Formats: sequence, C-alpha cells, structure tokens
Amino acid sequence: MAWRIGVDIGGTFTDVALVEEGSGRIAIAKVLTTPEDFGAGVLAGLRQGLDEHGIAAAEVTLLSHATTVVTNALLEGKGAPAGFIATRGFRDVLELRRSARADLYDLFQDGPAVLIPRRHRFEITGRIDAQGQEVTPLAEEEMPALVAAIRAAGLRTLAVSLLFSFLNDAQERRLGALLREALPGVQVFLSCEVLPEIREYERASTTAVCATVGPLLEGYLARLQAATGALGLPRLHVMGSSGGVLDVAECLRMPAAAVESGPAAGVVAAALVGRQLGIGNILSFDMGGTTAKASVIADGEVAVTADYEVGGGTNSRRWIAGTGHPIRVPVVDLAEVSAGGGSIAWIDPGGALKVGPHSAGALPGPAAYGRGGTQPTVTDANVVLGYLDALLDGRLLIDRAAAASAIREHVAAPLGLPVQEAAARIVEVVNANMCDALRIVSVQRGHDPREFALMAFGGAGPVHAAALAEELAVPEVIVPPAPGAFSALGLVATDLRRDFARTLYASLEGVDPARIAAVLAGMEAEGTAMLAAAGVPPERRALLRGADCRYRRQAYELTVAMEDGPVTAATLATLAEGFHARHELTYGHANRREAVQLVNLRLTALGRQAPLALVQPMRPEAARQGRREVWFPGGARPCPVLWREGLAPGAAIPGPVVIEALESTTVVPPGWTARVAAQGFLRLARS
Amino acid sequence: MANPLHGIDPARFEVVKNALISAAEEMKIVLAKTAYSPLLKVAGDYSCGIFSARGEMVAQGPDLPIHLGSMPDAVRTIAETFPDAAEGDVFIHNDPYRGGSHLPDVNVVMPAFHQGRLLGFGCVRAHWPDVGSATPGSYGAVTEIYGEGLRLPPVRLYRGGQPIPDVEAIILANVRTPAERLGDLRAQVAANRRAAERMAGLAAKYGAAELLRIMDAVLDYSEAMMRGALRGLPDGDAVFEDIFDGDGIIEDGDTADRTFRVRIALSKCGDTITADFAGSDPAVAGPMNAPLSVTASGVYCALKMVVDPRSHIPPNSGCWRAVRVTAPPGCVANAQEPSPVVYANHEMSHRIADMTFAAMAQLAPDRVMCGSQGTSAVTTFGGVDYRTGERFVSYESTKGGYGARPMKDGINAVSSTVSNMLNTPIEVLEMSFPLRVEEYSVVPDSGGAGTFRGGCGVRRAWRILDRDLRASTCFERTVTPPFGLAGGLPGGRARLSMTLPDGTRRAVPGKGAYTAPAGAVVTIEAPGSGGYGPPAARDPAALRADLADGYVSPEAAARDYGMTDRD
Repeated sequence: MAWRIGVDIGGTFTDVALVEEGSGRIAIAKVLTTPEDFGAGVLAGLRQGLDEHGIAAAEVTLLSHATTVVTNALLEGKGAPAGFIATRGFRDVLELRRSARADLYDLFQDGPAVLIPRRHRFEITGRIDAQGQEVTPLAEEEMPALVAAIRAAGLRTLAVSLLFSFLNDAQERRLGALLREALPGVQVFLSCEVLPEIREYERASTTAVCATVGPLLEGYLARLQAATGALGLPRLHVMGSSGGVLDVAECLRMPAAAVESGPAAGVVAAALVGRQLGIGNILSFDMGGTTAKASVIADGEVAVTADYEVGGGTNSRRWIAGTGHPIRVPVVDLAEVSAGGGSIAWIDPGGALKVGPHSAGALPGPAAYGRGGTQPTVTDANVVLGYLDALLDGRLLIDRAAAASAIREHVAAPLGLPVQEAAARIVEVVNANMCDALRIVSVQRGHDPREFALMAFGGAGPVHAAALAEELAVPEVIVPPAPGAFSALGLVATDLRRDFARTLYASLEGVDPARIAAVLAGMEAEGTAMLAAAGVPPERRALLRGADCRYRRQAYELTVAMEDGPVTAATLATLAEGFHARHELTYGHANRREAVQLVNLRLTALGRQAPLALVQPMRPEAARQGRREVWFPGGARPCPVLWREGLAPGAAIPGPVVIEALESTTVVPPGWTARVAAQGFLRLARS
Repeated sequence: MANPLHGIDPARFEVVKNALISAAEEMKIVLAKTAYSPLLKVAGDYSCGIFSARGEMVAQGPDLPIHLGSMPDAVRTIAETFPDAAEGDVFIHNDPYRGGSHLPDVNVVMPAFHQGRLLGFGCVRAHWPDVGSATPGSYGAVTEIYGEGLRLPPVRLYRGGQPIPDVEAIILANVRTPAERLGDLRAQVAANRRAAERMAGLAAKYGAAELLRIMDAVLDYSEAMMRGALRGLPDGDAVFEDIFDGDGIIEDGDTADRTFRVRIALSKCGDTITADFAGSDPAVAGPMNAPLSVTASGVYCALKMVVDPRSHIPPNSGCWRAVRVTAPPGCVANAQEPSPVVYANHEMSHRIADMTFAAMAQLAPDRVMCGSQGTSAVTTFGGVDYRTGERFVSYESTKGGYGARPMKDGINAVSSTVSNMLNTPIEVLEMSFPLRVEEYSVVPDSGGAGTFRGGCGVRRAWRILDRDLRASTCFERTVTPPFGLAGGLPGGRARLSMTLPDGTRRAVPGKGAYTAPAGAVVTIEAPGSGGYGPPAARDPAALRADLADGYVSPEAAARDYGMTDRD
C-alpha cells in the first residue's frame, strides 16, 4: 500500500497526516512541538504515525513538510548576520524603505526594523539606466577593499541588489561571480536570481530576507533530510508560500519562498476538498487560538498575492508600507486578524466592547481551562453559550463556572447585562472581526460571497462558521475531515511548484509577439529543467503562463492568465481583453479604449500529484447522543449534541444541533441543516 | 456625556464603526490601484473618508493627518451648496477659501443614499501633480491665488452616474497632463462609488435611521474619549514662538527671502484646549498663508498624538470638538482671499504641529516629540521627456527625521506629524521621467544629539538628462533647525544645491522655481530632527552603535557627546 505524509509544525502541536493513496483513508498523529529543535518533534510525530498505523517507511511515496523556521527566524531576529551590497549612493535603500510610518498617531511607535544594519551595508561603483544600458562600468578595482571589509565584519551570507539589474543583470552577475570566487564558503544571493522585478526596495528586501534566513534553513533542512532519510522515507519536500511544494534545493535557492508555509497548506487542503466535492468557489477560514486567517479559492484556483510583508506589527494593512520586511514572492493571499479562541474581551474607556488583539494564549489560556486564566476569552463565551463542553473527547475538562465568572466580572457587570447576553455580545464582536478578514479576501477583491462556500477549519473554526456565513450571506458551510490538523492534510495533496517572473515592459498593442515568446521560452526551459531534476515524470508536468498588466499610467498590476501555444497578435488581444475584464471585476470600471501595458511575464512550473480523494473515517458504533442548553439568538434552548464519527452518511440533521469530534466542535444554528456527505464531510446549509 | 453610545448596543456599535472604517480603507485601495499619476499611485498623497450628511468626518482611511482639519469643511461646503444632491451625482472642488487646502488638492465628493434618503458622503481628496499656473507642478512663488492654477468652486461633475462633459472639458483644458488627470479623476470617482455602496449596504442591513444614529454616536464616542483623556492632563497655559524660513518672494531691496514669525498660545482647562495664533506675523506676499483649517490640521494632529499617545481613539470630527483653534483674520495663520496659499498647506501645518508639541512640552513633558523635519521637502521637475516627446511633471516629497521622544530615539528617514506620503521608487521614477537619481542616503549627524537622538535626515540627488527642465522646490527649515527638548540639541537643517555640468555649485532657493540645465545635478537634504535630554546622558552602547553605523561621526561624538578616546 502507498501512503503520503504531511507534517505541519504549529505553535503547540506538530501534526502528522498520513493518507493512503487509492482509498483516501486518513490517519493523524499529534505530538508536542519542540521549539528548541523543531526536527525532533517532526521525527517523533513521524515515528508515532508510522508505528500506530503499522506503515513501513518503504510504503511512503511522498513526504511534505510545512516549516515555520523562516518566519520564526525573522520574527525573533535570529537570522544569520548578513551583508548588503548596493549601487554606489544607495546602500541605505533597505532602511529608507518607502518612508511612510506604520501608525499615523502613535507617538511612541518604533521605527520599522532594519534587516541588515548600516555597518554591514556596502556600495560599489557602476550604473545601469532605465533603458537597461550601462552608464558607468562596474568598478572591479574596488573589489579588494570590499572583500576585505566583508571579511573583517565576519559575514557569511550576502545580498546583492544593484539598480536596474532586472533589466540588465550583467554587472550584478559579474559582481556575484567575483564575490563567490574571493569569498569561498560565503552564500551570495543575487537580486536578479531571486526576484528580477522592478522596485529597488522591495527587490533588495526580498534578497536580504533570503540572505538572512538562507544559512539557517540550509542547516535545518540538511539535518531533517538526513534524519528522514535514515528512517527510510523518500526525499523531503518543503511547502512554499505560494501553495506548492518545493524540492529542498529549490527552497535553498529562494528561502523567502517558504515564509507562509503552514497557512498555505491549509488553503491548499481547502482547495482539494473543494475539488473532491465539485465546488470551485471557496472561502477558506482557519481559526486558531490567537488569529483567524481567511483566503479565497476562485474557480478552483488558490489566490496568491505578490505584496507581502514578513515580521513586523501587522500584515493586515498591506497597502501601506508597514513594519515588516516586504518579500515580492507569490504568497497565498491571506487576510489575518487577531481573533482566536484565546482572544480577550474588554470594555474600552468609551464604553465599547472589544475582543482582542490580546490573547490569553496557551498559558494561562481561557478561564474555562482552569490553568490560571482570569480574563474572559472567546472560548469562555463559547462555553457559557453551551457551544463548547469537554474538549479532546473529555481529556480537557471545562470549568464552566470560571468562564461565567470571568465574563461576569469584566464584561457583563460593566455593561449591566446578564452573563449569557454578554457572552453572546463577545461572540458577535469577534465574529464581526473575522468577517473583516473574509471581506478583505472576497468583497475587496471583487468576489461576491453569495457565490462561495465557507470551508471552516482550525480548532475553533467550525464553532463560528455558520454565524459568519449568515453575516456574509454565504449559502453553505463545509466542515472537512480532521479540521484540527487540516494543514498537514493539505501537504499530501500539494503539487510541486516553482514560480518564475521576468520584467518585460511593453504595450500589448505594439510589442513584437516574438519578444514575449522568447522570454516565455527561457522560463519554460528553466521550469522543465527544475521538474526533471525533481524527478517529475513528463505526464505530470504543467507550465502555466501569466502576465502582470495594467493601464500604462497605473502603478499596480493585475495578473491575468495567458494561453498556451505560439504567441501571436491574437494571443495578445485575448490577454488584453482578459485584463479589461479583470479590472472591471476588481474595480468597477475598465478603460477599454486605452492600451494595456505588460509589466511582468510569469510562469508557474507544476509537478502535479496524482488526484486524491479524502475520506473521513466513520464508525457507526461510536454514535452517541446528548443534550444540553445552548444559546442561539432569542435565548437558550435545549439542544441535541451528537458525536461526529458516529453519524450516518447521507443523514440530514436539522439545527439547532452541536456536533462534537475529537479536536473540533461544529455548531449548527436553528434554520440550518447539516448533511453528512458520502466521504464523511459535513455540509451545512440553510434549511 | 456619561454614555456616548446613547443606549446603542455596544457590540452593534463596534461592528458598524469598524465597517465604516473598513469602507474608508477600501476607498484607499481602489484609489491607489487605479490612479495614473505616480504621486497618487505610488506616493499616496491623498485621503479618503466617510462623512455625515452635515459634513462631519466619521471615518478616515489610514491616510494623511494633514487633511483632518479641512476635509470636513470641504464636504460641508458641498452639502450646503447642493441641497438637491441626488443619487449618481458627483461633485468636485479645490477652493482653499471654501474648505479646500490648496489648489492641487482636489476634492471629489459623492453622496450616498438608501431608498432616497441621504446617508452622508464619501470624499477623496487627492493631490494632482499639476493644476495649471505658470509653473509645472503649480508650485510657483506667486502673490495672489489667481496665479496658483485652476480654481474650482463646488460644481457638479457627474449627474445620473455619467460625467458632465462641459465641466470635464474645462478642467482638462487647464492642466498640463490631461490624460493622466482624467485617469486620476476616474479613480477618485471609483473610490467614492465604493464608499456609497458600503454605506447603502449598511443602511439596508440595519436600517437608515439606525445607521445614522450610529454614525452620530461614533462622533460622540471619539469626543467623549478625547475629553476623558484631556481631563487626565494638567491644566495650564503655554506659549511657543518659532521663526519660519520665508514665503519664496524676495522683496524689493532684499537679497534673501525674509523670515517671519508664528506664535502659538495653548490654554488647557478641564476637558477642553484652545490654540490661539494672535501675535503671529501678518499675511506674507508669497504662498505661505495658511487658511485657518490648515492651521487647525497641524494643531489637531499634534494634540491627537499628545492626548492619545497610543492611538486608541478613532480620528474623526468628534475628536476636535474639545479643541478650539483661533487666529486673527489676515495673519499668516488665517489666510484671507486673495492671499496665495500653495506652500502653506504642508509647510505651515508641519511647522505648526511641531510648535504644538513644543508648547505642550511645558504642560505634559513626558508625551511630546522634539522638532521633526517640519517640511514636506517638495521637489518638482517639469518639461518634455526627450525619450517620448511627451510633457511630464514629476512631484516628490523627501522625508527626513522624526523627532526624539522622552525615553526613545527619533526615527531616521520617515514621514512625521501631518504627512505620511511614500517616496517614489527610483526605478519607477527613472522609467517615468528623464531623470537619473545619483544618491539616496541617510545624512550622518543630522539627528540632533541627546540622551535620545533625533532621527536623521535624507539626501537625494537627481541628474537632469538631455534637456533643460523647469524645477521648483518648497522647503522649510533651511534657516532655523528642528528644535531639541529638555537639553537635547537641534537636528540638521535642510540644504539645497545644484552642481552645473562644468562643476560649479550654486544655491537653489528653498522656495520657488528655477531652471535646471541638462547635465546638472540637483541635491537636497531633508532636515533631521531634534534630540531629547542632555547628550552626555546617552547610553554609551547606543552611541557606539551609532558610530559603527555612521549615523554619528567621530567628530560629532567628541563635540556633542563629549566622547573621548577612552570611551
């Protein structure tokens, strides 16, 4: 039998999902995360998963891994000391950023973090102009002093980003060759290899992120690959931020591509379940302990964005340069809000009820967990309302009185409300915050939520999903198998993926199609070579073209898919019309009389996985039924409580009902009906 | 005001308030992504807001504080001029004497309706890189507003959702790059449409009456929080005076721009505060005269940061009910028609915000900021692009230092107080315009020495390619430096110069237009900012780090910090 394995490292647990090819049978192993050496937890989880389910290493056909190493290194400032080399006059580009501050009125705000301090930033004479012509040759006579300064600073990794290297990379490549020759053992990342795109700050920042995390990632992946190899497992793949897995060698060439590894896997899992159910339009919703993340899948495609910041204060206001480090690699388009089970409710001095951004975290946790928490959290509100009772099938007991008393003291009494009313208000506010995240990825991107299904996962997602769907007028909620380990599940179904981009400035009306064809051919050759090197057989390979376009005088592009085959005038006309339509959909108007400007050509190289159908294991013998008081708008009422594993496929269960499972609870409000699909998925719709 | 929510459910209040703020944020995204001029699409010189039917600002996007004071006036003018506003109408105006700020800031306003009932307005104020006048960029030193460019009183721009061609034609005939302007105008309308849709959606959901009740409560809520925070500060009076560089006009018999003086008197009592500008110099000949609403923007912005330093109170018109700003009509801080105003919008408001901090330092010394850059450091170039034969106008604002604070250093190279514009990426600039940037760097020793060092200023240099261009600049702080507080030293002044192709260097005026010949290099330094506390008390490790990073030179370390070889 053949099995695929996905491993996802979370804040508390490392999840291992094992799926049998053919049958789609799912097995899950959960072990504690080991922050001092993440690899130890991964190995423990793998051993447990294989042993418990009697799987031999030789039966494993795929091993994919989502890693937080890159994100953590940046958040905690634990990257390697790196050097930065710029065109003369521009070493401060990394610090000058875009010159906006993150908060308009916060007097005591810190300046944005600087990834590479000024003392480690260097310059070299040489200049390419805006037409890609060399204006000043590279001053190779400056090399000895530059090399000596890098040596003296003891830097083992370098980011090189020269002006206009995306148009003409000769100087940057020559400089890279000279550095590699003079400084053996030092890693050198060139911006023209990492991100040959316009905008010097964003390109430099992406290159600097790669240089900073590269050495760490290399050590980590080398150790892990050696250890999994010793277990007899197949070669390791790493989840990339864009929703595809990377070969380890590819990942090390482009470390910034592994930033949102775990969350991306969750969205990919949602897309997989959607395919299986024949649903193309999905709002993916992942609610954990401290944050909730929303993403959109339209026509089966995971949405990705090229505007992303890692680290820093907030990622939710991406349209203004913030406090993190921009990386211009494709990242799954996630909107994240500080709203999770642990988010704390409070009354502000103006009398408004707030939830978050502070979280009780895993410790002390919600008051109901009895680990010393005294602040009222969203989980406490869910307990008081009767949505949650014992968790982890009774292994985590709930202190209802403690939950009620925290809400009474901090919310109900100050507002003069009964405790249950106050709890309902807390849930209402946190739901509104989460709706914001869902709106950012749907309405703000021009998608109508009424045409989507909401896929809810993460420990707390299925508790809130129906209420969110009600608020956004989403007609259906899907609760997938293993919602508490869903990201790990996504890893087993992820295609091998690498994204290429080349800047090509041209008007679609005037450009010679042969120029476009030549650039695409170059990327296609690279993509094919990458897929071949990763051992993907030709029948599983796919090369998808795209183009970033805009009206000539705009600054932001929209990415439009481009058809295969020879590039002709007709191809470009189709592309232009695709852009007009996309612009109209996104912004409400199109300027069809204007020429469309091409900015970047894109190519996604995919090594497709064989299709997989997931099946939630069901055990009719596990059926059980309870009853408790549960609050819904209008007041508390007695409500049946069922055990998910024991539900009969095909059953239609009218709300109100609470459906419990090992690691997550689904709330079905009055007016909604839960249907048990053939593979064990729950599908909730208005009755 | 015991309960600013007037009995509205606190949860619903929070939900609707946030929905209004999200709507303003959405407007901003639509504008940035669809606008044509670099100033809007990459530099972000605009503000978006949701306004009540009376013209009060209920929600502001994460935009420019500089527009806080005057945007409500601009919308109120529309509300009063067009009592017949109907669905599908769009209005436009840029008149500083009717609630505008300066002519380049063009307000586009759209009413929102639900079942025929007026809910309020969306407004997008966007800085157009050119609105005519004799100078590309409309930043010439003239002596009457009539010379500053196209002045639009409140007029209807769209009816029934369609543009009115006559009005559009007048506008496009008066600006240098009409195709770009039309794209920007469409973007402003698209952003407003989003606002009207969102407001109508909220009314459909909660009922128009409930939405309007909540919009009022949002204003009362900010007012109550602002007053509560004001009560926590000590009462008292404080006065601060500062010298301004000048107005860009060299009077007969003078050889340099004449400086002038502005005086602020703050009086804080209980939950209110008054800022009065009596004693400031009378109106100047050149465009440094601030309409009172521009003066107020500077005061509001600084007071918001002092009174609510962690930024908890939503900025809206309710915040300013506790603040009164007065100035004798005809003084430089309360411009009267036909005084020219174009520089004052950002230069006066920048400097007045800094002055408000300096005055507040006497009342609340633990929550102020030292003098920041105090200028938008505007540099414009205009002419014909030799590569295409097309006319162009480039407008850039270079950001300098953000002042030191008690217990914290300032910030290098970031916008301060009233401004929050972005720079234009060098590669975007050079592809758009016939310029080559030769340097963009942090200026060492421009951060004022102190226990907490001021933020450093920034140098930027442009080479003029192939053809002569017409350039203009608008700077403050070339004469007096940004002040330090509590014993901290001032930051570095602004500096401007031009190196001609033959290698000779000449000064560039701080304000006004000049010709930049092909091959010349124009170099500017945006000011640094002041330091806080005596330099001798600076943490030696922090000083050593500044030395290693070159923010402080060894000479300055010895001179300002008394660092000796033993350190």
